Amino acid sequence: MIACSALVLIGMAAAILHRDPFDKLISLSILIAGIFPFIVDRGYLDVAAATALIAPLSTIFILMVCRRENT
Amino acid sequence: MIAIYVCAGIAVYAAIRVILERNTMRKLPFLNVVSFAVTGIIALLLPHPITIAAAAAYFVGSTLESNAIASAWSGGIKK
Amino acid sequence: MLDEPIRILIAALICWLNFMTVDLIFKLPHSGGVSGATAIAREVEKGGGNLNGGYMMGNIVSSPDASAGTLLASCGVYCAGLPGGLFAALLVYIGNRICYDPGYAGTTGCITATFIVYGAVQSGWFAASDFIAGMVIAILTIQGLSSVHASRLIARLWKVRCRFIPEDKP
Repeated sequence: MIACSALVLIGMAAAILHRDPFDKLISLSILIAGIFPFIVDRGYLDVAAATALIAPLSTIFILMVCRRENT
Repeated sequence: MIAIYVCAGIAVYAAIRVILERNTMRKLPFLNVVSFAVTGIIALLLPHPITIAAAAAYFVGSTLESNAIASAWSGGIKK
Repeated sequence: MLDEPIRILIAALICWLNFMTVDLIFKLPHSGGVSGATAIAREVEKGGGNLNGGYMMGNIVSSPDASAGTLLASCGVYCAGLPGGLFAALLVYIGNRICYDPGYAGTTGCITATFIVYGAVQSGWFAASDFIAGMVIAILTIQGLSSVHASRLIARLWKVRCRFIPEDKP
């Protein structure tokens, strides 16, 4: 459990410190990875399955939006 | 049951390696290790049949996300 | 039963052999399956690694392959026994389709791993949780320690495999 909180804090610190947008997205992945065990620990397995499908989709949408701004 | 402590330790180690790596593309294998470790933690926390579905959904989602980041990075530079 | 750390290390070795064999049989180091894998391979090569090793590492990151199959098979057997492992194989197959992966490395690795883990648990020497921790340790050695050395090791195994199964390579 402490390790998962450590993951969240590391992900948060990395997201703030890095400059490159792709690095920030990777740090957000670590953040989400950290909060996931907390959801499962409480027994919310269906919430966990739903979040696991929604969070990567939102990253893909962010990537599509950023690419449309660049090109 | 030290299996879950092993997975937690490896997750924190890989997360630290992600921050310390300078090159963006070379961060992705370390991110993959974090996904593996967190999938292991999810499965070890709650041994229930539906946990397999949650763990598999998380792992496939994380793989899809890494793939999207990698192809967006490579596709963006070529243009 | 042996002591727990020894069991985890032996399980790690078994998982490593399983997923490396299946991945080499399915020609993962030959080329990148999706575009993200090629990008990662090129970066690994720029850092001093081997291109074929980089292709395999990129394929492991971008698509559920035998390493993912072995991990989900161990989770399945831990949570629900043999039917759990086969259910995990079905989920890996669906994941392969979602990621546009042209091969079946993940599903095959999952099915072989299900039988290996189930057999090991039934024999009484191992517990299923050892295989979960063992698989995470195995993937750490390939992806998490040093991409240069790991890619060179994969390239050497790929050369051995090419000598054993000669086929027309482009």
